[in-house]
Amino acid sequence: MNGTCVYSIRGRLTAITMLTSAAAMLLACALLLARHIVAERGELDVQLRSFGQLIAANSEAALASNDRGQAEAALSALRATSFLAGRIYTNRGVPAATYVNGSDVAVPVHPWHADGIVRRKNGLAEIFFPIIHNGKRYGTVYIASDQEDLRDRMKSDAQSMTIIVLVSLSAAFFLSSRLQRSISGPLVELARVARLVSRNKSFSARAVHPAGDGDDEIGNLMTVFNSMLAELEQRDQKLVLYQTQLESTVEQRTAELTLANEELLAAKNAAEKAACVNAQLARQSALILNSATDGIFGVDIEGEPSFLNPAGARMLGRSLPELRGRSMHQLIHHSDASGNPLPEENCSMGLALRRGDSVTDAEDLFWRPDGTSFPVEYSATAMFDEDGNKAGAVLTFRDITDRRAIEKLKSEFVSTVSHELRTPLTSIRGALGLLSSGLLGPVAEKGQRMLEIAVANTDRLVRLINDILDLERIESGKVELTRGRIDAQSVVNQAREGLQSIADQEGIRIVVEPHAGTLWGDSDRLIQTLTNLIGNAIKFSPANTTVTLSGTAGETEFTFCVADEGRGIPEENLSSVFQRFNQVDASDSRTRGGSGLGLAICQSIVTAHGGRIWAEKNEPAGTRVQFTIPLELGESVSRPAADATMLHPATSIRHDDPAVLIVEDDSDLARVMSEALTRHGLQTLSTSSGNEALRICTEQRPSLIVLDLGLPDLDGFRVVCELRKNPAIENVPLLVYSARDVGSADQSRLRLGPTEFLTKSRGTIADFESLVLSLLAAATTRTKDEPHAA
Amino acid sequence: MPPKQILVIDDENDIQEVARLSLQLTEHWDVMSANSGAAGTLLALSEGPDAILLDVMMPDMDGPSTLRVLQQQGVQIPVIFLTAKVQPADRERFMRLGVRGIIPKPFDPLTLGQQIRAMLAWG
Repeated sequence: MNGTCVYSIRGRLTAITMLTSAAAMLLACALLLARHIVAERGELDVQLRSFGQLIAANSEAALASNDRGQAEAALSALRATSFLAGRIYTNRGVPAATYVNGSDVAVPVHPWHADGIVRRKNGLAEIFFPIIHNGKRYGTVYIASDQEDLRDRMKSDAQSMTIIVLVSLSAAFFLSSRLQRSISGPLVELARVARLVSRNKSFSARAVHPAGDGDDEIGNLMTVFNSMLAELEQRDQKLVLYQTQLESTVEQRTAELTLANEELLAAKNAAEKAACVNAQLARQSALILNSATDGIFGVDIEGEPSFLNPAGARMLGRSLPELRGRSMHQLIHHSDASGNPLPEENCSMGLALRRGDSVTDAEDLFWRPDGTSFPVEYSATAMFDEDGNKAGAVLTFRDITDRRAIEKLKSEFVSTVSHELRTPLTSIRGALGLLSSGLLGPVAEKGQRMLEIAVANTDRLVRLINDILDLERIESGKVELTRGRIDAQSVVNQAREGLQSIADQEGIRIVVEPHAGTLWGDSDRLIQTLTNLIGNAIKFSPANTTVTLSGTAGETEFTFCVADEGRGIPEENLSSVFQRFNQVDASDSRTRGGSGLGLAICQSIVTAHGGRIWAEKNEPAGTRVQFTIPLELGESVSRPAADATMLHPATSIRHDDPAVLIVEDDSDLARVMSEALTRHGLQTLSTSSGNEALRICTEQRPSLIVLDLGLPDLDGFRVVCELRKNPAIENVPLLVYSARDVGSADQSRLRLGPTEFLTKSRGTIADFESLVLSLLAAATTRTKDEPHAA
Repeated sequence: MPPKQILVIDDENDIQEVARLSLQLTEHWDVMSANSGAAGTLLALSEGPDAILLDVMMPDMDGPSTLRVLQQQGVQIPVIFLTAKVQPADRERFMRLGVRGIIPKPFDPLTLGQQIRAMLAWG
């Protein structure tokens, strides 16, 4: 490929050189040859003329004499030469002598010319030379020579020249092919590089000057070419770089786009799904709301009805449009079971909305437009929007007519059974008690022992019936806890006092570790629980051991602990002791006289309070039973509106409403009185102790005092006497509600502010209520000092 | 001082008898008894006892009805219910009627009199 191509630079350069050399040499050779020929011919002519002259001179005489022999002799001189033929003509043109060197030479017959000029004809050079002597012409000499010598010499010359030319051309070729490289080499290199670039599409190749220098035009060309290549390569690299960058950028952008696209798609799918879910949820919600058998009733922030589901509409006998723009309370909750109006400001729904919490009531009454009512269980809960703002309230309620009927049946059944069992037991217990007392006459020792066994077991049977009834009522939720603030130390002390005599009999020491805490619960039930636990602890402890009562206040609850040093409970039974009729030792129920329900009742009570109860091993011996009761946490505690907070011992009062202090040692009667007054919107405080009554009076100044005269500590007279010493109390209205009639002398000792007397056996609770109300009205009138009041 | 007169009204003769016997033996009170509300009312009106021990669950006139009749007749004799109905709701209901006390059945025959004395504030 390299240079072999006929069109290649190298080929052409060689060809040009060779052609030029060949032409020059041929021209030179031709010239030389021509000159040679001319010179040879001149020499021949000279010879011809010289010999002609000679012969002419030699033959003058012979001719003059007409001597042919002489003529012949003159002519024979030619024999020494290479002349071909000769003839001597007479003046008349007759041949006188002839010489022929060979046979085939045609000697002219006549002398055609006689001018001494060499003529060439038919490969012969001939001359006719006149023979003149003394001005007279005697004849003519003819000499002819062939040109063989000349031709041979020309031929040999030509051969020599050819050799010379060939050698010269070879040398020229060799030289040119060597020398042309200085020109063609760089060009070929350029061409190669160019082809390489073109073929490989790469600008990395560089032309290298074969001679190593680049000062000439080609060198410059190469340099330029190389720099151009470098430039191109650089551009190419840049281009590649740009391309790569572009590609990576494109790739990156594509990836970003893909990602964005995917995200978009995902978001779109999520949104569609969410929309779908939302729609489904909405359908589901609607379905749930529409299918719910409970009534669901929503009110907006203004307290106006905004939603009512079909079940609710059916139960209330109203549709939402009928309710719109009207007060829920006025429509369905306006009165209690007896038809007494209920003030709207106490409405649980309104309370939930105002306080932003929830209230529940297991037993209330809703009214229909036709004036009928139905018992309901409901819960009212404030609703908040996403920003935490109050958005209204939702009331869910359930018609509990059927449940109530069943509960009533059950309750009746239980109480009937209980009564029916008690009636024969009363006779048995009474008869056995009288027999064993010996009041009916002496009984034999063994008979006495049997009677005592019968009495003990009758008592046990009665306890069992009581416990069954109690447990049943607590667990069925029939017993509502009458919650209030309770001092933890005080309930422990009360429970302990009730059991102190038994403990003393058994030789058990009861230690109460000091502890403080205000609880939120039913004090009677807590005392019952503690009594049960302490009783158990005593029962299962040997003499001369200690039962320790302690308590600790946590953040939200108070933990009571009753610890004994008795025989303890096996580990595996610690959790099952709270089950009904589950006594650790089967013989216990017989020998210890328990019903087997005590701990179950404790658990029910604690659970109803929202607490926990558990038993664990006491170190080093015995058992430790602990239970928790919620702490009173002030106003933040959500309290059911229907809670009987104010029916029972409470230690503080609100100052806006009138508060009545009930001093009565019969707790049942106190509770009845308290409930009656609460129905009139009064707050009540109760105490069974005269001293406690004095303390409450000085601290809280009640609006009215209801006083029983027979109190366990101070009697009523002492209480009034003390109260009179306090200027803040001496004008407080007083209602003396005593077991016996109070004589007029005593009445004067009992007066405080406006005072009324009521004897328990004569007055009903209704009388009590009206007396309290009239006393309060009188006191208010007096306080406000309005002369025209009724 | 003459012994206190107590009227026991209960439809269960056995209970009447046990109650009468225990009050007689422990307190030496003069005890009379009736086995219906109607008979008891008549006896109360004619004899004027110092206290009435009244059963609640009786056929025809039950305890509360008998009490109402007595109150309507202006009888001011203190009444104590002697009852097997021991649930708090019942007790509250009875207290509203104006009874002086409630003694649950079964009772201890040896302390029955003490309980009555405490309720009636008899020394």
